[in-house]
Amino acid sequence: MRNILLIAKREYLQQIRGRAFRYSTILLPLGICVLLSAMFFIGRKANSNVHVAIVADSARLANEIESELLHDKATTITVQVVAPASQQDLDTLLQRVKTKSLDGLLTIKRDADDAPSATYTSRSALGFGTQSRLKYAMNRAFLREWMSANGVKPAQVDDALKEVPIEILELDKEGNTAKSTGMAPFSKAMMMAFLLTMPILLYGMDMARSIIEEKSSRIFEVMLSVAPAEDLLAGKLLGVGAVGLTQVAIWVVGTALLTGSALAAPLLSGNLAIHFSLAEGLLFPLYYVLGFFLYSALFSGLAATCESAQELQMFMPLAIVPVWLSFGILPYLLNNPGSVWSVALSLFPATAPFVMLPRMGLENVPLWQYAVSVLLLILSIWAVLWFSSRLYRVGILMYGKRATLPEIYRWLRAS
Amino acid sequence: MPVVELAGVTKAYENKVAVNNLSLSIDAGQMFGLLGPNGAGKTSSIRMLIGITIPDAGNVRLFEKPFERASLDRVGYLPEERGLYKKMKVLDQLVFFGQLHGLAADVARQRSTEWAKRMEIDGSLQKKTEELSKGMQQKIQLIASLLHDPELIIMDEPFSGLDPVNAALVERTLLDLKSQGKAILFSTHRMDQVEKLCDSICLINNGEAVLSGKMREIKSRYERNRVVMEFEGSSAFLTSAEIAEAKNFSGHCEIRLKEHGDAQKLLHEAAAVATIYRFELIEPSLEEIFIQTVGGKSGA
Repeated sequence: MRNILLIAKREYLQQIRGRAFRYSTILLPLGICVLLSAMFFIGRKANSNVHVAIVADSARLANEIESELLHDKATTITVQVVAPASQQDLDTLLQRVKTKSLDGLLTIKRDADDAPSATYTSRSALGFGTQSRLKYAMNRAFLREWMSANGVKPAQVDDALKEVPIEILELDKEGNTAKSTGMAPFSKAMMMAFLLTMPILLYGMDMARSIIEEKSSRIFEVMLSVAPAEDLLAGKLLGVGAVGLTQVAIWVVGTALLTGSALAAPLLSGNLAIHFSLAEGLLFPLYYVLGFFLYSALFSGLAATCESAQELQMFMPLAIVPVWLSFGILPYLLNNPGSVWSVALSLFPATAPFVMLPRMGLENVPLWQYAVSVLLLILSIWAVLWFSSRLYRVGILMYGKRATLPEIYRWLRAS
Repeated sequence: MPVVELAGVTKAYENKVAVNNLSLSIDAGQMFGLLGPNGAGKTSSIRMLIGITIPDAGNVRLFEKPFERASLDRVGYLPEERGLYKKMKVLDQLVFFGQLHGLAADVARQRSTEWAKRMEIDGSLQKKTEELSKGMQQKIQLIASLLHDPELIIMDEPFSGLDPVNAALVERTLLDLKSQGKAILFSTHRMDQVEKLCDSICLINNGEAVLSGKMREIKSRYERNRVVMEFEGSSAFLTSAEIAEAKNFSGHCEIRLKEHGDAQKLLHEAAAVATIYRFELIEPSLEEIFIQTVGGKSGA
């Protein structure tokens, strides 16, 4: 045990003192903030400064649509109304669309039965945001027109079309209701998934890379004369795992300090206000440690069979399929946290860490599901460690070429 | 007291027998040379000795007990394939290896400093290993294997990568350790060093011991059939029927006698035509014994 701790301590100190740790601790969240900000601003820009012309037989309808669009504060669409429009007006507008001095042309017509139809002509595909706004504005204008035509007074029309906000309440097992924090659970789920995935993958791969480096520098020969292969692997797992935990702790403390500051108050209010419960605070490190051990043990076994980092890269995409799967299901999970698929993936060991924690931010997960997922994770770690330590024991002394599948089978049988 | 005992040790990898029924014994205070051509099974034998691999058959005993990992705290190992953590500072690295061998951190630090002075690398203790030359790294590796004052020292090619000055320093260190009663096993291709340093040898080829015993005994088994002569006068005696091969360097010649060739008869023949200043009948070098023994049997 003493040697395991010594090896873990060396790994930990070596990495913590390294430039890579400092840079990744600061630059990774910074990079993600920059990326998210860029996506946010690009998204806003994509929905702004859209110049649309509305052509309709009824000037009143066209003006209603314009009014609805200009009333929407989330967008800055410039609207030009041409109603009624002659063929020459239409040709001119189409020419302007061609030369891109106009982004799009919304044409509303009525057929012989007075049924309306609308077409939107532009040089490029219509963004989802603009499309839904146009549709919303147009349908409200039609409704307003119909109500007015059927004798409803303007004030009554306004009352009828007034939007009613929904207050979302969450009911827990004891029957207590609490006001939902809007988008916060979704933001929290995304943040949990990110905070878990990044260090688990980052440090799992780092561990694999260091095994290959040490294999090529032949240091294992020296190390094996003082400690058995299992101790070397265990020490490495503990040391590198602790580095990841330290990094997450720095991020969490940093985030807590930032969110506690006056600067963050206006930014993280309302829908973005994220609060972590004690259970989440306790389960996060547990799932991180279990996830890290599972993936690092798997990567270590793989690394022991490879001769170079390039060879390892060939296998990595396969090894992290469950992680892609977890991220792939995240949109579905956000909308259906209690569905069979969400429950199954939060119990399945390879996806449990990445799915269970986001899920618990969205709904009250039954206690037995935590127990089963942790138990299955522990059993899987044991199985993967058994498999990997055998590959590791033989593989780290094999130099020259990557092991083939029959060779790996023989290693497993021999050790 | 035998510090190391291998009895009928065998190790096979897939279809290749790396070591076959090898037996040897090393006592305290003895310097033992493990010799053999490339791929003979030297490293495989050493790996079994320190538990990196387990023999398929036979027994390994260290310090008069069947092999157990706890015994490795009394063993210092310098592998053929050197390995150090490149990004670590030399002193940190030495302290780490000392601790792995059971030393307290402060004791490991103190001994590292003392050994660094002795090996003339004390100016490099705060440098990263990757900043040092291959020879310097070799000395660090040597210190790492000696820090815990082992009773058995195993060194695979300890002189490779060292210049003559540093090789002499390592030689002196090994002799000093031997005089302290340590058992030293080393494998090397440098026959001159084995001849100079070792009390006993084991020559292995294709995994089998083909020659083993005390150096004196082994040498005495071989006929003294080499003559070194210094002379003045005619070199006509070099065509003598006693000579198998001769190299003449203007007054200095090296002669190999035929099997059962008569050196006295050659001396008489030479003295009849030249003035003899030196006529020395010398024993075969270890290198010659090595080539003679392995030459015809090597499967490599």
